[in-house]
Amino acid sequence: MKEITAIIRRDKLPETKTVLEQLGYPSLTIQSVEGRGKQRGAMCAEMDSEMPDSFCTAVKLRPTPSSYALEHTLPKVAMYVPKRLLTIVVPDDVVTKIVKEIVKINKTGKPGDGKIFVSPIDGAVRVRTGEVGGEAIA
Amino acid sequence: MKMIRAFIRPEKEQEVVLALEGAGFPSLTKMPVFGRGKQKGLQVGPVHYDELPKTLIMTVIDDADVDRVIQVIQDKARSGFIGDGKIFVSPVDNAYTIRTGEAGL
Repeated sequence: MKEITAIIRRDKLPETKTVLEQLGYPSLTIQSVEGRGKQRGAMCAEMDSEMPDSFCTAVKLRPTPSSYALEHTLPKVAMYVPKRLLTIVVPDDVVTKIVKEIVKINKTGKPGDGKIFVSPIDGAVRVRTGEVGGEAIA
Repeated sequence: MKMIRAFIRPEKEQEVVLALEGAGFPSLTKMPVFGRGKQKGLQVGPVHYDELPKTLIMTVIDDADVDRVIQVIQDKARSGFIGDGKIFVSPVDNAYTIRTGEAGL
């Protein structure tokens, strides 16, 4: 079993869900998170891939600091971009296929498209029936 | 690659993030979480707080950098009192950048 952790754009979530459903792996956990990557939350494209930089400057659409930083006077604050974090646990053999599909649907070619992490999972238990291992995620 | 998950005090978050940036690790994801530790929450007079707010900072880094990142987080997040949080390290097989589709950090 592998855990796929995908950090994606907020507006791509419905499409990603549809694709996962079509692949036959509809179960997933969604979390609303904030974060930043190599660009350090400094670019307009990280917020919205279709928005030109000039528009972002005009309406002051920027990544925002955390609420703690807003409430306190700090010498320097870090900026974050809101994203969605998906957690999917799947059998080993379909990992490549799912990663490829998630990349395909989420790709815009601009910074801020997100990352996908694949990590090993030792065990799984279905709470309702007590099934363990592969059966629990089938 | 390793995934670092650090549960820290919300008020230390900015300090930790900026220190990580200074050390050359600007990328991270953070989320607000609630939890409790060994002390089963917090007792203030007659009031018992079962779940305390913490910030979860998640970042994926190369194996060689693990010790350095943990050191940075520890330095900045420690206050010496209970409730400073925990750091967990777990393995990551692969990382993909969606923009390019390439494997690797």
